[in-house]
Amino acid sequence: MNSFGIEQFPDYKVPGVQHVDFSPYESNGGSIVAIAGDDFVVIAADTRLSSGYSIHSREQSKLFEMSPKTVLGSTGCWCDTLSLTGLVKVRMQMYEHTHMKTMTTDAVAQMLSIVMYNRRFFPYYVSNILAGLDKDGKGAVYSYDPIGHCERATYRAGGSAGALLQPVLDNQIGYKNQNLSLDQLPPLTKERAVAVASDTFISAAERDIYTGDSVLINIITADGIEKRELQLRKD
Amino acid sequence: MGPDFDFTDTPVSTGTTIMAVEFDGGVVIGADSRTSSGAYVANRVTDKLTQISDKIYCCRSGSAADTQAIADIVAYSLNYHRNQTNKEPLVWEAASEFRNFCYNYRDSLMAGIIVAGWDEERGGQVYSVPLGGMLTHESCTIGGSGSSYIYGFVKEHYRLGMQMEECVEFVKKAVQHAIYHDGSSGGVVRIGIITKDGIERRLFFNTESGQSEIEGSKSFLV
Amino acid sequence: MTLDTAPDLPRAGFNFDNCRRNAALIQGGFKPPTMTKTGTTIVGIIYKDGVILGADTRATEGPIVSDKNCAKIHYLAKNIYCCGAGTAADTEMTTDLISSQLELHRLNTERQVPVVCANNILKQMLFRYQGHISAALVLGGVDKYGPHIYSIHPHGSSDKLPYATMGSGSLAAMTVFESRWKPDLSEEEGKKLVRDAIASGIFNDLGSGSNVDLCVIRKDSTEYLRNYELANKKGERQLDYRFKKGTTLHTTLKDLEITERVQVVPMEVS
Repeated sequence: MNSFGIEQFPDYKVPGVQHVDFSPYESNGGSIVAIAGDDFVVIAADTRLSSGYSIHSREQSKLFEMSPKTVLGSTGCWCDTLSLTGLVKVRMQMYEHTHMKTMTTDAVAQMLSIVMYNRRFFPYYVSNILAGLDKDGKGAVYSYDPIGHCERATYRAGGSAGALLQPVLDNQIGYKNQNLSLDQLPPLTKERAVAVASDTFISAAERDIYTGDSVLINIITADGIEKRELQLRKD
Repeated sequence: MGPDFDFTDTPVSTGTTIMAVEFDGGVVIGADSRTSSGAYVANRVTDKLTQISDKIYCCRSGSAADTQAIADIVAYSLNYHRNQTNKEPLVWEAASEFRNFCYNYRDSLMAGIIVAGWDEERGGQVYSVPLGGMLTHESCTIGGSGSSYIYGFVKEHYRLGMQMEECVEFVKKAVQHAIYHDGSSGGVVRIGIITKDGIERRLFFNTESGQSEIEGSKSFLV
Repeated sequence: MTLDTAPDLPRAGFNFDNCRRNAALIQGGFKPPTMTKTGTTIVGIIYKDGVILGADTRATEGPIVSDKNCAKIHYLAKNIYCCGAGTAADTEMTTDLISSQLELHRLNTERQVPVVCANNILKQMLFRYQGHISAALVLGGVDKYGPHIYSIHPHGSSDKLPYATMGSGSLAAMTVFESRWKPDLSEEEGKKLVRDAIASGIFNDLGSGSNVDLCVIRKDSTEYLRNYELANKKGERQLDYRFKKGTTLHTTLKDLEITERVQVVPMEVS
C-alpha cells in the first residue's frame, strides 16, 4: 500500500518529524445472511450503520436491488459500498442498453468479481453477498472477498457478525454435524429460511455490538421481491 | 477510530491559564476552570488554586494527575513540619519543596506550578516552578497554555506597586483574555487574595456582568 | 518476607517476571490476547439526601459482548460505593483492594471512613502505577460531612463534582446531566435522571448496553438496585432449536451410575 511512503526513502527523512499515515478505510459494521432454496432466495441485512463506538444511522438498508431477480447485500466501509454498488448499477444499465436485456444473476456475479479485482492493489473494503434467481429460476447465493474472489453457495453469512452466524447456518441449513437421515430433518421451505435468517440476527444482536436496530429481509421468487422488516435490540 | 477507542485512556491535562501577582500586603492568584481530556472538557468547574497550607496556595498547570499528586505530597510535608516545629511554613519553603520534586522527577512529570502565599518573614511572595524544575521568584508571573496569549497584555499593563483591588482587576482581565483566545482554557475565572488574614476567594462568570446567569445554589461552584 | 513453612508462596504485589519475554514476543509480531474492557457508561450525582450511582451492564472484548449482565457498581464500604470503567480486571481488583484497606482503616480508627479517604487511597494507587492500571472510576458516598461524588481518571487525577460521568458513554450521559441536573433534586427525580443518563449511554454508545443498575446512598441507609430497569428485551425466536434425540453420533455405549445431585441455576437473570 505504501510503495511511495517515506519509509522507502530513508535518505529524505527529516529527524524529529513524525509521519502520520492517512487511513482511507473505515469499518461501518453490519451483517448479511443469504439462504437459497429451490425456487426462492432469502437475503437479510441489519440496518445499523456505525463507526467506533457511535451509531450513524439506525435505518440504513444494506440491500441493493440490482434487478427484479437480483439483490446485492454489501457491508464494510460504507463509502466503498456506495461507490461499488453505484458502479455496478451503471455497468448493468450499459449492458441493458447494449444487449436489450436485463443481466442475469450469474452475469452480475461474474461482473462484480471483475469490478472488484480491478482494484486489486487498493481494494474496495466491502463484504459482498449477492442473492438472486439464476437463469433456471433456482435460488443462488454468491459470496466475495474484498478483492473479487467469487464463490457460489446455497447459504452464506457475511459482515461484522459473519463469523458468528456462519456456523449456525452450517448446522441449521446445511445440517452439518447432525447425524440424522434427511427425512428426520425439516425440509428447507421459504418460511423456514426466513425464520432461520431472522433468528440468527436476533442472536447476533445479542453478542455483536455492530449488529442491531432492525433487519430487512428480501425474499426473491419468480413473482417478485417480497420485503419484510423485523425489530432488533437497539443498544 | 476502532472499537478500542475510549477517551478515558487519554491522559487528563489542565490546558490552563494561571497567574499570580504580588502586592503590598499579599498576593493575588488567578486561574481558569477548565480540565480537558483530548477534545473533551472533563471538568468545567475545576479549582486549580490548590491549598498547601493556611496561607500558601499553588496554581496547577500540566498533567492533572502529576500536579495533584505533588500538591498533596507538599501539603502533607509542610503540615508535618508545622506540627513538628510549631511554626507556619514559609512560602519559599513550599516553593523549594515543589522545585525538588519537579526537578528530581523532571523526566516523568508534566507540571508547571506557581507557588504563592503570605508569610511573617517576607510578606506576599510569588514563585514560579516551570516544566524543567527551575525555581524563580517573580513579582508577577503567568503560566499554562493560555499564558502565551497574554504576554503582551501583562507587559503593557503590569506596574509595580499596584493596590490589591487593582491587582484583582488586572488578573481577572488577563485570565479573561486568555480564556477568550485559548481553546484549552475556559469556564469561570477563579481568584484568590492571600494576605496575613488568610485567603479571600472570588469567582467571575464568563458573562457580561461577571455574575451567574443560572438559577440555583451557588454552593457547588464556589 | 518468605515463610519457612510455605516457601513457594508468591510475594505480595504484582509479578513482573514475564515482562521482558512478552516484550520480545510482541516485537516478533505476536498478538497478545485481548482484555475484557467494560466500554461503559457509569455516572453519579448528588441529590437532596445523598448520592445516586448508576451503571450499564455490558462488558466487551473488542466488538463482541462478553457479558450481558455484569455488575459495575462495586462495594467499598457500607456508606461508599464505586462505579468502574476501563479494563474489567483492573476495576474489580482495585476496588476490592481499596475496600479491604478501608475496612482495616475503619477497625483501626473505630470510625466510619470518610469518602475523601477512599478518594485519596484510590488516586495514590493509580498514580503510583502511572496509568497502567486502566481504571476510570466514579466514587460516591455519604459521610458525616455530607454527600460526595469524585471522578477518578486512570492516571490518578480526581475531580470533586456534583455530578460525574465516565467511560465510553460518558459524553451521552453528560448531555443529560448538563441539561437537567440541579441542586436538591428529590430521590424520585434523581433516580429518573440517573436512569435517563445511563439509558442514553446504553442506546447511543455501542460500548454500553443491556440493563440499568442503580445504587442510592442516603445519610444512614444504602439501597443497591441491581437491574433497576431492563432497558432491552431479548427478541423472541420463531423456531425451536432443541436437537432431536440421536443427533450426536456415538460409537460406544456405557452405563454410568450417577450419584451426584445437581441443582440447575439459570445463567442469566434477564
